[in-house]
Amino acid sequence: MFDVLADAATEFISWFQRGAETFNGLVVGIVPLLIVLLTAVNALIALIGPERVNKFGEWAGREGFAYTPIRYLVWPVISVFVLTNPMAYTNGSFLPEIYKPGFYDSAVSFVHPPLGIFPHVNPGEFFVWGGILAGITELGLNESDLAVRYLITGFIVIYIRGLVTEWFTRRLWATQHENAPAAA
Amino acid sequence: MNAFITRLGKAVGNVVGVLYQAGRDAIDMVIKNVLPFIAFIAFVIGLILETGVGEALADGLSGLASSLPGLLLLAVIIGLPVLSPLLGPGAVIAQIIGVLLGTEIGAGDLDPALALPALWAINPQVGCDFIPVGLALGDAEPETVEVGVPAVLFSRMITGPLAVVIGWLFSFGLYS
Repeated sequence: MFDVLADAATEFISWFQRGAETFNGLVVGIVPLLIVLLTAVNALIALIGPERVNKFGEWAGREGFAYTPIRYLVWPVISVFVLTNPMAYTNGSFLPEIYKPGFYDSAVSFVHPPLGIFPHVNPGEFFVWGGILAGITELGLNESDLAVRYLITGFIVIYIRGLVTEWFTRRLWATQHENAPAAA
Repeated sequence: MNAFITRLGKAVGNVVGVLYQAGRDAIDMVIKNVLPFIAFIAFVIGLILETGVGEALADGLSGLASSLPGLLLLAVIIGLPVLSPLLGPGAVIAQIIGVLLGTEIGAGDLDPALALPALWAINPQVGCDFIPVGLALGDAEPETVEVGVPAVLFSRMITGPLAVVIGWLFSFGLYS
């Protein structure tokens, strides 16, 4: 009777012990680097002056199709490279509201494609790339071939994601604002 | 001379002040946004790994990964708006399936040329669990979050499988 209870208790606590190991791994593995990196980038932005970064953001947020590569390719790539996951999404604050979901989609989709070359962007989720990479190394094939192609397809995919998400955002926005007066 | 020393002192004080404030902001951000997220993720990952749910799920899905149509179907399933937010946290599922597929590639059961489309097929859900937080980090209004969450989820139904096709197109000549 007590054995069963003890086994159940062991099983129960083991769920949280595994969680605690994961917590430990993430805090030790990511947080120190994140804090130092964040401090450096915060200081850099403060010394450059937020108004200049703002200006680039405003530039990225302009109307017109010509600015979409800035908004959904250049800006998210710079954001992810410099600020890394999850800080990169704060750069959405420089854009008008309607573009924020598209920017988020572009930026968040870029947190894995550079892992083969710049693992600092998202070390906590390295095995999205590292898992498949392990098979390639096992076969003795050149990993850079795959890493470069993953990065290049990343550029293409995040641009498309930004555009498609912006289109959905506009449609849903229009529906919301149509319904709002009726509901009020 | 006095004036120079005063100026130097002020300039150094200014830089130190900026750096100190940067550190304070970094710690604030970590405590308010990063650590709570890590706590939540650690709990979910622990539960998934320890109960075997994650492995069962990954086992079922990795059977699809041996051909391009299978990979497309995988991307469609993972990208469903109901599933994608559930499969997102910590990229656990993507990492587990990634490791499984890597093992199969290493064993020669899977064509290494499919590695690139596979990388995209295991990941159409990236960030789908994090949309409200990600938008909030970007200072989005609650109305934007209300519209943005479904916009990203619907968009992924299209761009998830599309990314697999792009990956497949770019895999021509890879490891052949």
